[in-house]
Amino acid sequence: MDYNKLDDETLIRLVTHSKSEALSELYDRFSRMVFGLALRSVHDQNLAEEITQDVFMRIWDRAGTYHAEQGKVATWVASITRNRAIDILRYQRSRPEGSSLSLEELPFFDPPDSQSIEGEVELNSQKQLVRRSLSLLPKEQRDALALAFFKGYTQQEVAEALGEPLGTVKTRIRLGMQKLRQILEEEPL
Amino acid sequence: MLSENHLLELIPGYALDCLSEQDMLLVSEHLSQCSSCRVELDSYLRIVNDLYLAVPEVAPPPDLKQKVLGNIPEKRARAAAKQPVSAWLRLRSLLRTAAPVWAYASMVLIVILAAGNLWFLQRLNRLEATTSSDFRVVTLAGTDMAPDASGMLVMSHDGNLGTLVVDGLQTLDQAHQYQLWLIHDGSRDSGGVFSVSKEGYGALTVAAEQPLNIYSALGITVEPRGGSPGPTGEKVMGGSL
Repeated sequence: MDYNKLDDETLIRLVTHSKSEALSELYDRFSRMVFGLALRSVHDQNLAEEITQDVFMRIWDRAGTYHAEQGKVATWVASITRNRAIDILRYQRSRPEGSSLSLEELPFFDPPDSQSIEGEVELNSQKQLVRRSLSLLPKEQRDALALAFFKGYTQQEVAEALGEPLGTVKTRIRLGMQKLRQILEEEPL
Repeated sequence: MLSENHLLELIPGYALDCLSEQDMLLVSEHLSQCSSCRVELDSYLRIVNDLYLAVPEVAPPPDLKQKVLGNIPEKRARAAAKQPVSAWLRLRSLLRTAAPVWAYASMVLIVILAAGNLWFLQRLNRLEATTSSDFRVVTLAGTDMAPDASGMLVMSHDGNLGTLVVDGLQTLDQAHQYQLWLIHDGSRDSGGVFSVSKEGYGALTVAAEQPLNIYSALGITVEPRGGSPGPTGEKVMGGSL
């Protein structure tokens, strides 16, 4: 069977029947997204590799829990990745020796036309649209959203990381999300 | 600031999972009763999903794929090598080892109380004589992620009432809760969400769409506070019905 011609949902169904070739094909399709998201969240190559392995093991173990009506396979895989990364980050922060975020580790959303030097193959139009939408937000809103999205910070933690009042951060996150929704609903993916 | 008794201004932060515990609870409770806010939430969850597209892809190390695929037979072998230990034996083993006696005495008491509650509820509902044999107790065991966890689902034989009691689960951070999944023909229905005390105890009155005795298995995963439409997090416990 030529697995690379099958759609994502069919591959997931085959994984439920323990077809390792289907998992191999899913890895080829999604490992760059998974590794990129993990790396952007945890800022640690080894940890990002562990998360990537974890995510594909979960796909293997839990493909039966995927339901197409809940969203695309890519979104499901991405949400598993983000949840796993945030679980690890929150666990690290809960420990007494948990480190605070340095300025170099501040996560960010990339501008729309940047060519990644980290190995990204190509940017399709959907990605460009989301990045363009993000670029229309004031930097303060974008940074607050990035901390909540990548690091799993609460609004209080975002406020502490950025040295801003809690009320200001709440407003930035709310306005940022509202603005993104407005832009993306006008120009749906 | 709230708009006309809705929580529209909190919903973007709820979708992004960054509210305080208090606000998370407030929104969760409100969402269970407000369809217009659920629609609002869906629109923001789509935005969160769109944000994944903004993350640059990065090629993982070339040898990582082999590690991933190489782990598959290892996991299978490990699962096959596991002896089928009964949940009761597992519970007895736990009683002998990890936690203090009072902790398990408390758990037994909780189960008895849960059974008692069901017993009285059935008496009230059916107005007929009821005996302890009207209840069925299903045991749950922890996965590798929660090896010390144990639990029981006490359910009425008609499957209309059920109480879950768990012990030995880790306390979660404010943004997460445990969610019970009821499995039938490969599909998962939510049985409700719950948190555990600092000692690892938790209880849940199971709210299922169908009688519990139609389900073949159950599992518990870690999910964002308020629960997910389908399992996305770590499975920590499971059992067969």
